[in-house]
Amino acid sequence: MRYGAGPEILRDITLRLEPGSFHFLTGSSGAGKSSLLKLMYLAERPSRGLISLFDRDIATTPRREMPALRRRIGVVFQDFRLIDHLSAFDNAALPLRVAGVDENQIKEHVTELLSWVGLGDLLAAKPPTLSGGQQQRVAIARAVIRRPNLLLADEPTGNVDEELALRLMRLFEELNRLGTTLVIATHNQSLVDRFDHPHLHLANGELHTGRARKRSVL
Amino acid sequence: MLRARLDLPLERDGSVRFLPWIVALMVYLASLALAGTLVVRDAVERWDRGLTGTLTVELPAASAGSRADGAVELALKVLRTTPGVVRADPVDARRTAALLEPWLGKDIDAEDLPLPRLIDVETEPRVGVDLAALGQRLAAAVPGAQLDDHRRWLDRVLRTALALEIVAGMVVALVGLAAVLAVVFATRTGLAVHHGIVEVLHLIGARDGYIARQFEWHALRLGIKGGIAGLLLATATLVGVAAAAQVGAIDDAVRVVPALSAPAIDWALLLLLPVVAGLVAMLTARITVLRALKRLP
Repeated sequence: MRYGAGPEILRDITLRLEPGSFHFLTGSSGAGKSSLLKLMYLAERPSRGLISLFDRDIATTPRREMPALRRRIGVVFQDFRLIDHLSAFDNAALPLRVAGVDENQIKEHVTELLSWVGLGDLLAAKPPTLSGGQQQRVAIARAVIRRPNLLLADEPTGNVDEELALRLMRLFEELNRLGTTLVIATHNQSLVDRFDHPHLHLANGELHTGRARKRSVL
Repeated sequence: MLRARLDLPLERDGSVRFLPWIVALMVYLASLALAGTLVVRDAVERWDRGLTGTLTVELPAASAGSRADGAVELALKVLRTTPGVVRADPVDARRTAALLEPWLGKDIDAEDLPLPRLIDVETEPRVGVDLAALGQRLAAAVPGAQLDDHRRWLDRVLRTALALEIVAGMVVALVGLAAVLAVVFATRTGLAVHHGIVEVLHLIGARDGYIARQFEWHALRLGIKGGIAGLLLATATLVGVAAAAQVGAIDDAVRVVPALSAPAIDWALLLLLPVVAGLVAMLTARITVLRALKRLP
């Protein structure tokens, strides 16, 4: 994969994520973690090669069917990408609203999830008034609200303290137990080491697979 | 009704604040052009109605102003025996003098002038009159007699009115095009300013129609708002023109076009202009957004 006429960011990557699997994606800054995630959440198209998602070849999937595929993917963006003029509630509710879910259901689910991530008192708060950690939790709530088949998270615990990081990891593991496939990109080697999940390591645009060194302490 | 929940903060965009003003100006110009068309069309229709079923027979001037040559009586005889003619009355000297008064003044004696003599004829519109045959019979009875059904004059007026309507139509089309371009520009600016939010909506599975709807509603609101303002301004202008025509503030030539005399139903059509402006803005925004979104993967 390359951006425009720039150098190749990712090359010769062959990767298959089994349904229900949980992977960490590691690598130094600029190694291409975000680019690989972008290919997975369909924000970019590969300059060559094949991407197959939910047994569909992306290159041959008609454009009108892409929203349905995207709704099966939850994304936690590295920079959160919350909508500043919408409340925490409305931000988290967005995936349900674009899918046309009934407002009563939206209210129930979103309130419950935001309370679970500790933002029950901040439903009406706008993102600019929230701390980095709180924004991150809203972003995670938005990503998981539809209980996606595939959850891609770019540094989802980068702005929260250790205790909350573990709490969020428990949420991810719970989702994983319910069948969601997860890929979590992180710099945080100690987090990777705490959990017994395979990790994908990117270096020089190439992918290597490995295993965490320690067992989970949860 | 127009307060749809927007995921995009379009209402806060400084770049689109000018849009209602542009639409207002466009609707103002379009209203005046359409009002002009309505007035001219109505005037022409009334002239057409007024002149249908009437003929004028023109007899050549008698020598030395004498009216004793019996030509009028001969012509009247022909006319009154023609099927379809309801009435045929000679225009008397007094009325002829009145017709000439604006040019010749009051103190003239039409009898003394070698003027053509006129006969005012009313026909039964449903029966119709064979004008060619009547013309021939009149010419046979009174050499030099001419039959005028006003068609030539009316055709010229109709052609002029048609030309005015075409010009007005072009003005409306150009004004509409300018409004469409303004909406395209404003929508593209909105897309560029909110590119990040649009992309997030796209990535979480929003269909293109969902994103386009946000811009559509906004454009519809701005279009109607501007349209109402433009129509109010145009109404004020037209009322001013009508008042001026009533009190004769504008010279007599203007009164040839009866001011704002089109039927109420035609004026009601002008009320639709803000709605049309809103719908054009809405459709333009939708097409612009859908085309732009096609570039996203």
